[in-house]
Amino acid sequence: MSTRVPDTSIYFAVTEGIRAEANRLLSAGEVTAIVGYTTGRRTGSSQPIIVTDADDTARLCFSVTSVNNLAVYLTKAKKEIPKNGKIGIVVKGCDLKALVGLMGESQLKREELYLIGVPCVGVLASTVQPSTELTAETIAPKCRECDAHLPSGCDFLPDVALPPLPQLDGKYTAEIARLEALTPAERWVYWKEQFAKCIKCYACRQVCPFCFCEQCLCDRNKPQMVDTTPRPSGNTAWHIVRAMHLAGRCAGCAECERVCPMDIPLNLLNRKMAKELKELFDYEAGLEVNDKGPLTMFTEKDDQSFIK
Amino acid sequence: MSRIGVFICHCGENISRTVDVERVAAEIGKHPGVAFSTDYKYMCSDPGQTLLKKAIQEQKLTHVVVAACSPRMHEKTFRKAVEAAGLNPFLCEMANIREHCSWVHENMEEATVKAIDIVGMMVERVKKNRVLPTITVPVTKRALVIGGGIAGIQAALDIADCGHEVILVEREPSIGGHMAQLSETFPTLDCSQCIMTPKMVDVANHPKIKLYTHSEIELVEGYIGNFQVTIKKKARSVDEDKCTGCGVCMTKCPQKKIPNKFDQNIGMRTAIYVPFPQAVPNTPVIDRDNCTWFKTGKCSVCQKVCGPGAVDFEQQDCLVVEAVGAIVVATGFDLYSIAEKPKGSPIKGYGEFGHGKIPDVIDGMTFERLASASGPTGGKILRPSDGKEPKQIVFIQCIGSRAREKGISYCSKVCCMYTAKHTMLYHHKVHDGQAYVFFMDARTPGKSYDEFWRRSIEEEEAVYIRGMVSRLYQKGDKIVVMGSDIAVGVQVEIEADMVVLATAIQPQKGADTLAQKLGISYDKYHFYSEAHAKLRPVECATAGIYLAGACQGPKDIPETVSQASAAAAKVMTLFSRDKLEREPIVARVREAGCVGCFACKKVCAYGAVEEKEIRDRQGNLIKVVAYVNPGVCAGCGTCQATCPSKCVELDGYTDEQIIAMIEAL
Repeated sequence: MSTRVPDTSIYFAVTEGIRAEANRLLSAGEVTAIVGYTTGRRTGSSQPIIVTDADDTARLCFSVTSVNNLAVYLTKAKKEIPKNGKIGIVVKGCDLKALVGLMGESQLKREELYLIGVPCVGVLASTVQPSTELTAETIAPKCRECDAHLPSGCDFLPDVALPPLPQLDGKYTAEIARLEALTPAERWVYWKEQFAKCIKCYACRQVCPFCFCEQCLCDRNKPQMVDTTPRPSGNTAWHIVRAMHLAGRCAGCAECERVCPMDIPLNLLNRKMAKELKELFDYEAGLEVNDKGPLTMFTEKDDQSFIK
Repeated sequence: MSRIGVFICHCGENISRTVDVERVAAEIGKHPGVAFSTDYKYMCSDPGQTLLKKAIQEQKLTHVVVAACSPRMHEKTFRKAVEAAGLNPFLCEMANIREHCSWVHENMEEATVKAIDIVGMMVERVKKNRVLPTITVPVTKRALVIGGGIAGIQAALDIADCGHEVILVEREPSIGGHMAQLSETFPTLDCSQCIMTPKMVDVANHPKIKLYTHSEIELVEGYIGNFQVTIKKKARSVDEDKCTGCGVCMTKCPQKKIPNKFDQNIGMRTAIYVPFPQAVPNTPVIDRDNCTWFKTGKCSVCQKVCGPGAVDFEQQDCLVVEAVGAIVVATGFDLYSIAEKPKGSPIKGYGEFGHGKIPDVIDGMTFERLASASGPTGGKILRPSDGKEPKQIVFIQCIGSRAREKGISYCSKVCCMYTAKHTMLYHHKVHDGQAYVFFMDARTPGKSYDEFWRRSIEEEEAVYIRGMVSRLYQKGDKIVVMGSDIAVGVQVEIEADMVVLATAIQPQKGADTLAQKLGISYDKYHFYSEAHAKLRPVECATAGIYLAGACQGPKDIPETVSQASAAAAKVMTLFSRDKLEREPIVARVREAGCVGCFACKKVCAYGAVEEKEIRDRQGNLIKVVAYVNPGVCAGCGTCQATCPSKCVELDGYTDEQIIAMIEAL
């Protein structure tokens, strides 16, 4: 097997594992619902599903199109899930980071969740058809730089060994390096072009597990913080608000970028913020449940050279 | 409908020199909502305040804007005046057209336009101010004093004598600080030990003073009247309750050659030690870095000889939490080291003086230990290198001080006086010796100070040479001092037996770290900043924290004692009331929008944010939201800035008000 192509053959065994565990959990009444993936209408596609009946667990699956970060169903979209009792959720390594972050922000409690981990070699990019085979060309950019193929600390992990993983060069890393080499004026031109495309559909906000505010400040009109129409000033304000609110929190599930109908490289901004956080505070989001992130606390080790 | 009154102050000429105040008054009179607008020479004066009160009543004003100096200066004054006229004081705001405008601009036209903008913004802000009721909070009538030098001792005794409990925390194993190290004190030459040690004993015996020595401040939480302080008691390895202070352990300890910091490292001590015989408490401490038991696991002689069994090798550092209402910071000073070049600091050291490598070049404090009857030489002036009596001694003033190129531009204030004292002490002990002093100026303001300095020259035969020293070097057993006498205009070369440097006073090491724990401000040298250089010299800008002694700037003993007593008086003023009135400028949570992420709780430096459950009529939990305890909130606004969904608002600074201000521009 060439190491240029991720080996997805384990996903059959993973699917079997998820189904069996989900069946056991629902039959035993250990959880009231399971958030997972099921096959979609188009060939090869999959979509989120909430299973509450043990008989329906055969509908669960995991494949190269199981891209969604299901964490979002536990915060904003949680109204669709029965309130009482423990909830099972299928998590990839990248999604687990979001759950960990949400626990640190008092949105989820570990004891109220049953984590069904997924050994993952990668999922498809949103730009290719769901029936496409997973290759170094079709893999989602975030998977190229993945460091969490095997989620840790889950309640259940299918007994499947990870195959050897291909070494792929990081597209975000390269793009950040390219932008960092530009002058501030050139960078500004780049981002102005990107933000000009925005149609203010807020899909990025809706899909983000961390955008859990009951009322987004961008939707408020007393006072009006951000211009609501898709014009340059309001667009820029929105994207700056989004990037800043995610700094130190976003762990890079890249859902914002996947759902953006205008192909704005949103995760690029998030990754750049994450890089800054790493360099300034040696902090990575989503690795452990932290009561305080680097931006909500002060330590004597913090860089203070900017104080003259 | 708002009827806003705007009062523009000339501040004598401070504002009217660069701002056309009549024009500002006229322009702002046209601003929507402004019913009355006028200017006056001194708004804060009695006639100025009367004018304001009269206008409120006659014009039926609903809100007031006073355009004058910084609110830190006179906000209280004007809010009081507004209250006296029958309005809620929090319907009055100040527009700062002095510090923010007239003082920083020269062009009258531009400054006037800016002043109109500043006042217009405040008019828009005050329109949305709410009537706020005053908040009262209880006061814990116990004080914390940090530092057990003369400043801390004086403050602690004064507060305790008034009947309030005091927690005195000292980093070293004994209280006493630098004053306990001194031999004699200017300008009366009384023995430092004789006047200091009785005070130390008073502290130890005072029923209202709880002493923590060998302890440091770990954490400070809370606010004026209600601080919680975590103190780290470092392991002493000796049980303070059992120890009788007999000192047998010290005589038996085999490690006898450890330089004693108290004796400026020229005297030696044992590994189990008290820093000096008059130490308070007279309980030894084991220096674990130098103790044979802690290094090799063998020895334990002290434990074997200790009658009451007080030596405890297993003792650990422990944390104690104390609740106090006020804090006096009296952490004192440290001396500039000519050798040291701390990383990241502007301090440069003295290469031309051998960077501290010449053994008989000592600093003033070391000379104090040599001259002290309880010092390592028993009060004889002897050279550290060979123990000979120096017959020619050179004192050099302003080492580090007033030397911008060395990183310090201030005057250390005490060196002129103590060098004069040193020449006298030297003359009293070495009758055939000659003292020379290199000086820039002699600064002797203070009662009997100049007379004291004159005496050192006229009666004690010290030779004062006006000029600085360019180089010091060792030549045989002599130190060659090369300097200039600018009064005569010649180069001077003296072959000295010993050189004493009057090194600059600096804040204690770690002063910045402590300030960060306390939340008080400090200057570029890490001296703590007072709230107002002239009118509030012992208070910090942080309410409930007061300063005493050299931690705030170089000071001599009388001045330090005065400041310590002043700080104590401030603490007693605070403790004279059972309840404290607090500004009601506090944050409020809009519970409907709060998602309970508690980012506000995490950033709150005062622990004011609590979790609150929202339940429906059946008692089912709907959600948990943040709640700001108004008694604890200090109104800093950090929660407001942090809240991602903008559901925390600070009264007087709501987003609506800030945006209204921006839009008024």
